Amino acid sequence: MDWDQLQLGPRITAAVRRAELKSFRDVLCATGLDLQRLTGLSHSDIQQLLIAAAATFRRRPPVTALQLQRGECRSLESGLRLSVGCPVLDQLLRGGLHVGGITELAGESGAGKTQLALQLCLSVQYPAQHGGLSSGALYICTEDSFPIKRLQQLISGQSSLRSDVPPTLTSSLQFSDHVYIEHAADLDSLHLCLSRRAPLLLAQGLVRLLVVDSVAALFRSEFQADDWLERNKQLLTFSSRLHHLSWEFTTPVLCINQVTDVFNQSDNSLVPSSSSVSPALGLAWANQVMVRLLMRRLQATIYRSNESSTLRRLEVVFAPHLARDGQAAAVWREGVRGVLNSD
Amino acid sequence: MGYFTAGNNKAMLLLVSCVAMCDSYFEKVRAELYLQGMLGHWSRRDVWSCRQQLAGQMQRPVSSLSLSPSVKVKLAGAGFQFTAELLQFTPAQLRAETALSQEEALEVLQAVRTGGGEEGAGAPLTALELLLQEEDFQSIMTFSSQLDDALGGGLPVGRMTEICGAPGVGKTQLCLQLSVNVQVPQCFGGLEGQVIYIDTEGSFLLQRVVDIADAAVRHCSLLVEDDEQRAAVTTFSVETVLSNIFLVRCRDYVELLAELHLLPGFLLEHPRVRLLVIDSVAFPFRQLFDELSQRTRLLNSLAQQLIAIATTHHVGVVITNQMTTRVRGSQSQLVPALGESWGHASSIRLLLHWQGCQQLATILKSPGHMEADIQYQITSAGFRDTSQSEQPQSKRPRTHSDQSAATQRDTSC
Repeated sequence: MDWDQLQLGPRITAAVRRAELKSFRDVLCATGLDLQRLTGLSHSDIQQLLIAAAATFRRRPPVTALQLQRGECRSLESGLRLSVGCPVLDQLLRGGLHVGGITELAGESGAGKTQLALQLCLSVQYPAQHGGLSSGALYICTEDSFPIKRLQQLISGQSSLRSDVPPTLTSSLQFSDHVYIEHAADLDSLHLCLSRRAPLLLAQGLVRLLVVDSVAALFRSEFQADDWLERNKQLLTFSSRLHHLSWEFTTPVLCINQVTDVFNQSDNSLVPSSSSVSPALGLAWANQVMVRLLMRRLQATIYRSNESSTLRRLEVVFAPHLARDGQAAAVWREGVRGVLNSD
Repeated sequence: MGYFTAGNNKAMLLLVSCVAMCDSYFEKVRAELYLQGMLGHWSRRDVWSCRQQLAGQMQRPVSSLSLSPSVKVKLAGAGFQFTAELLQFTPAQLRAETALSQEEALEVLQAVRTGGGEEGAGAPLTALELLLQEEDFQSIMTFSSQLDDALGGGLPVGRMTEICGAPGVGKTQLCLQLSVNVQVPQCFGGLEGQVIYIDTEGSFLLQRVVDIADAAVRHCSLLVEDDEQRAAVTTFSVETVLSNIFLVRCRDYVELLAELHLLPGFLLEHPRVRLLVIDSVAFPFRQLFDELSQRTRLLNSLAQQLIAIATTHHVGVVITNQMTTRVRGSQSQLVPALGESWGHASSIRLLLHWQGCQQLATILKSPGHMEADIQYQITSAGFRDTSQSEQPQSKRPRTHSDQSAATQRDTSC
């Protein structure tokens, strides 16, 4: 360990060397008294040592929110949003997915979660002025095989879905070449994928969207009911990996989740009691999620010239920057679109 | 001098005379005896309490000074037990008596004279003085008048407040609201302070801060009544609000610990900072800790640091905590995370939770306030009272689920 870089007096540096402290991390994690005992230094010397060691962990001095707003600190606030590909839904999400942190999309089967995820895999490939991040997507399947036919269908429908984008640009993008698909049938292969292959793709700039479809499948199937401690531990490992990747590469992470029915309404200090379903995996997972979206299937059907679609509703359950609100949506041939009341 | 309780005026008087008359401990004792004879009208009790206080000041054990262990051993080896014995020494004399080096001897004498130089080892205060001091302490309003009332004006400066709650219930919203509110100009009853915001979850989103700041600025401009307020409003803009929020983002617990070591320096450079927010403490500390004992130890020292920052720099400390499920036999209940001992760290603990479709803030713990349930809502403008919450509690429609939730909450308190 290079203690000289701390620029402390030679007396303190020598004492620290003698004490065989291994890293700055050790210094910060030890108590002041332990350090005094190990190094034989006085209280004020230890304070100096702690402050010097702490300074090595500081990435930057505190920045003001005004500096963030002026874009003087791109690594903390990039100002980028990943558009969903539909202006109505983007409005609900105030521009789209946030590029830092985990966004969860929960819903019953057939609610249209995968549809929206696939659409995001395409919209990420557009340049920033069209709401994309001009990069590809990594799609990790844990449940079903990847719906490749539907992806092809969506790609051919891009020109009609994104009428705001010049057709020459849409046709010049090789959409299917930039969606990387991983199958993870068990937790081990999921961890391997997130710790090895995903960082590689992200570091090369080939990918700037991470989709896990779905988180619930593995964690719900691999553990027995009384294994919840082990399950929570695995969940935390998994989510801290996702957080790390998201922060390190300023990449949006979308996790698709299943829902469970809420039978017992007494457990309602967690969620407002109006909802009859809640996303799976419980509190341990919910604590890790920054934005929680819920997709519902409604009873109504909506018609368009020669197509019909079940009406759905995309709801914001919680998000630091979004109001609790919802927006009707429908799944058409070219993708998911918001439905305005006038339609 | 400062060692005497200011309430004990007789003792003060005695010490003033003592210090004027002599400079060594033994002479002081002689002076005390002399005074005892002279001030015949003093009761024995007065003299006794004076002697106690004198002894308390002068007979501080050497081992209690903040010196390195080896120095303490050398001093003890040379027979020094109390700081008073060291007072009349010069560094050279001390070196001759002990095996200390020149540097160490200087350090010892300095420690003795400054009373060890410990932070926060201020003079003891009477309860009356504390009360007066506390009345000077201001609070940061929450913009929910009911919660402000329940808390006696808002969240107190100089103390640590913990906000617990399930995800999405409004912890971050309250933190952001407080960060804006601490800057409200003094003529509107605010503190005109600055805030340092430590974000560990990545949930400090500029979009939202701008919303809340904008609403607060508009709110103040509607309240303008006199010229002073008119002048204050011209400088209270969204831009100035943003420029007074200092943001630090920490990705793991080591970065958080490091930041806290650097904070005192930052606070000295920015004396207007009146609020420190950590959103959240739980997030970095709940990840991948194999050894829970280490986590508890680190959390304890973190709490100590935060309390020290709150009192010495006169800063309100607001931290958020997650909830966790505790299973006791076949029963499970929601409790704040980070374990039992962490519960002692903060002086006020607020729980935000859902009850039916209402959001409630419950004061779980506070030395000075009644337990209370306050309804609030998160609007696009920020943390606010609910509009229908004016009506008396009994008139609220009670459903079955409402009641069962209430009983459940009672058991968890």
